[in-house]
Amino acid sequence: QSASPEDGLEQPAATLIADSVALDGNNVVRARGNVEVFYEDAQLKASGITYDATTEKLTIEGPITVYYGDTATLLASAAEMDAELRNGLLKSARLVLDQQLQLAAAEVRRIDGRYTRLGNTVASSCKVCAADPVPLWQIRAREVIHDELERQLYFTDARLEVAGVPIAYLPRLRLPDPTLERANGFLIPTIRSDSIVGQGIELPYFLAIGEDKDLTISPLITTNTRTLQFRYRQALNAGDIEVNGAITRDDIRPGDWRGYLFADGSIGLRNDFVFNFDIEITSDKAYLLEYDYSDTDRLESTVELARTRRDTYFSTNYTHYRSLRDSEQNDEIPTEVVELTYERRFTPSLFGGTLTTAFDGQGFMRTSDTDGPTGRDMARASLQMDWQRTWDLNNGMLVKAIGAANADYYLVNQDSSYDEAQLHLTPTAGVELRWPFMKSESSGVVHSLEPVAQLLWTDTSAADVPNEVSTRVEFDEGNLFSLSRFPGFDRYERGFRANIGANWTRYDPDGWTLGVTVGKIFRDTDVNGFSTGSGLSGTESDWLAAASVTFPNNLSLINRALFNSAFEFTKNETRVSWVNDDVLLSSSYVWMVEDASQSRFDDTSEWTMDAEYRFARNWIGKVDWRYDFVEGSAARAGVGLEYVNECISVDLSLSRRFTSSSNVDPSTSVGLQVTLLGFGENNRRQSVRECY
Amino acid sequence: CGFEPAYGPGGSAANLRGSILVDDPTERFSFELVKQLETRLGQPVNPRYGLSIDLRLRDDDLAITQEQEILRYNVIGEADFAIRDLASGEELFRGKASSFTAYAATGTTVSTREAQKDAYDRLMVILADQITSRLIASSGSWLT
Amino acid sequence: QGTQIGFGGFQGDPSKPVDVTADQLEVDQADGAAIFSGNVLVTQGEMTLSADTLRVEYAEAGSDAAGGISRLIATGNVVLVNGPDAAEAAEAVYTIATGIVEMQGNVLLTQGPNVISSERMTANLETGTARLDGRVRTTLKSSQSE
Repeated sequence: QSASPEDGLEQPAATLIADSVALDGNNVVRARGNVEVFYEDAQLKASGITYDATTEKLTIEGPITVYYGDTATLLASAAEMDAELRNGLLKSARLVLDQQLQLAAAEVRRIDGRYTRLGNTVASSCKVCAADPVPLWQIRAREVIHDELERQLYFTDARLEVAGVPIAYLPRLRLPDPTLERANGFLIPTIRSDSIVGQGIELPYFLAIGEDKDLTISPLITTNTRTLQFRYRQALNAGDIEVNGAITRDDIRPGDWRGYLFADGSIGLRNDFVFNFDIEITSDKAYLLEYDYSDTDRLESTVELARTRRDTYFSTNYTHYRSLRDSEQNDEIPTEVVELTYERRFTPSLFGGTLTTAFDGQGFMRTSDTDGPTGRDMARASLQMDWQRTWDLNNGMLVKAIGAANADYYLVNQDSSYDEAQLHLTPTAGVELRWPFMKSESSGVVHSLEPVAQLLWTDTSAADVPNEVSTRVEFDEGNLFSLSRFPGFDRYERGFRANIGANWTRYDPDGWTLGVTVGKIFRDTDVNGFSTGSGLSGTESDWLAAASVTFPNNLSLINRALFNSAFEFTKNETRVSWVNDDVLLSSSYVWMVEDASQSRFDDTSEWTMDAEYRFARNWIGKVDWRYDFVEGSAARAGVGLEYVNECISVDLSLSRRFTSSSNVDPSTSVGLQVTLLGFGENNRRQSVRECY
Repeated sequence: CGFEPAYGPGGSAANLRGSILVDDPTERFSFELVKQLETRLGQPVNPRYGLSIDLRLRDDDLAITQEQEILRYNVIGEADFAIRDLASGEELFRGKASSFTAYAATGTTVSTREAQKDAYDRLMVILADQITSRLIASSGSWLT
Repeated sequence: QGTQIGFGGFQGDPSKPVDVTADQLEVDQADGAAIFSGNVLVTQGEMTLSADTLRVEYAEAGSDAAGGISRLIATGNVVLVNGPDAAEAAEAVYTIATGIVEMQGNVLLTQGPNVISSERMTANLETGTARLDGRVRTTLKSSQSE
């Protein structure tokens, strides 16, 4: 608390202001009427103050209010303090911290401008009104010391009372004051009951290690398990690291050590290089699901070195996969993958436009050595040249010439039905016409309409290589005008084709927007072998129709459909999301026709819903489910209820997972968490304190 | 019917192309988004406007079988964008684009890996198209 | 009063003779008061009072202190000095009989290191007490702050 500049070097003196001041000659000043005393960030208001200059004591008559900075307020009926308001004794006082937590006491002593000691005090952040004088909860203590510097509250002989009924007694208790963001100590415990993991309690302990690191250790002790969960976080000046994990001994697999480790981070290096890593390890296939740490069915551990600039992108990475699926044997699927990518974009001086050159090398390996698809390993090196140049015609039409060539060198190992090495060149040429239109109406509505037509040709001769990476094709507005809809480099879209489409968007001055995109593809021959379920098969693709409507209150609905001229649907996907103060809704529906070649052996029809709704001032209902219409059953369903008022938050959740595999049975779990608000900074204070 | 070519003579977006410099990308997805935006808005030629984009991506698992196998993922993208005058730095227009794409996870690990990469790239194309048509439609209010 | 750091009040001795010097003197025919102007300086014992103009009113004939000064009314840059204490104001009225000095208009009382400002001040030179009113403002110097 350094001296403020205008007071010069001399330590600042407390300033007193009043309506009238009487000097009676023996060094006593008697101030009356709207008396205020200021000293650094402390400010005192009272009805009367007598200052004795020889003893340097202020005798203050109430009602007294003392503000310390903007977080602590002391109210008292009478007090005696030093001139700098650093030390003093206040009678029938109340300490209010951050306008939330109130501590009332018959006597309050202020020590060294830092500590406030309250004798026989009652602490609570609940509203206390004439109508219902007993607060929802309060902590009664023989003594409480508030350390303003450390922002901690130390209770002695503390008794927690809920609705007046004592339910817990602690000889010593330390709690953070409402302004404290980060301090070592226990966090809020959660009571959990799960049909697999058992009934018990989870008690996290937070350890701040310096400004940039913290460790949270949270033991989970239940009837079936002794688990130590931990989370380590570290902020670097260019990047961050987070490690989550757990170590378990339980009755589900007695005698085994079980656990998991998820570590991910990104570290900035010199001249724009970034090292990224994401490690996912678990002890056995069922652990993550049984303990509800993650739903993932494949573990992907990656280390990558990457650099991103405006016109160049570089990445080299190694990935190890481990499948947790019953249907997959880890030695028969590619589990080791290495890749190197370098892409550069520039304007060639010779013939203008934009030339994108990219090198992509990838290799993957199956540990099994059986000949054929279950033991096959592959490596590939590809060089891609993609040149495009647009001419802006003066009628507003954009004509773009497209020329591309891909050279792919494939190596196939442990699959005698394919040549071991192959080099293949795939040229593509084409032209694209875009003609964006606009219409603004006097009402402020603006329309944009953009028809697009693209004519493309690609050489029809294809490399005879196994299709490992280009097997799953999607058709949406994102690849309506792309040169090849096959992902990866094992297959290219070939032959003559015309991609036709248009987008119409209506922008309303009230802030809502409606957008519609339609598209269709015509081919001369059907050489690509697209699956029926992709909507791209045959010489005429399905109609693509995508509509999206968004509203200013954050409600947005997007629907994308593929259907043929007879309106028989191949695919329909819908997503709704709505976020505002009272609603958090995200729901999706997917319907896909049966397509054996894509391992979809019957139609898919699934609806997921994840919603939180504040249906009353202090009550929030939560519901989430995942319903499979074809199976006629839910994969997962959960319901939650949360009560939050100005001083307490109760969070009750019940969820059921119906899925089961050879390793994991269905499970039901219930969680309860009670948080006393007013301790620690980031509590969710929902409602303001009012008396009716 | 009131529609006239946006880039045509007298069209409010007549000199939009080549006038916008998109902020530098920071990782693969924003690199793809900047590439698509430059394709649609034209390579910047002494640009007068800057375009900054706050890109938020997440994926959502879908179609989970009874055996707890995840067959499909949605990639959800939201992009808050703002056009500013490069000289004065003053913000001229602000908007939001959002959409989703999907990819199947029924193939092998490497097939799912490429399908995921393709889904992210397609989402960048959709977001770039939405941003571009919003810039064209609003050009009357900020493009000089 | 020594070097006490506290507030000493305002001790004076109203029984001492009053001596006035000034550049000009006029007499107000109407009530016989004397009006001094230009570098007016009044001294009474240790106490001095300076001001731009001073109006001296004499006790009416027939009262017991007839012929003596009854009131001094000083206006304009009034400065009252008494040992280590000083008080400034726009206007001051000193009633000799009661020893009461009433000052008003940006009153500034300085007693050693202590400074008190207010709109009005009433000081009783006999009892050494003073009372300030109207937006009083002062600093509470404490020994640590010396």
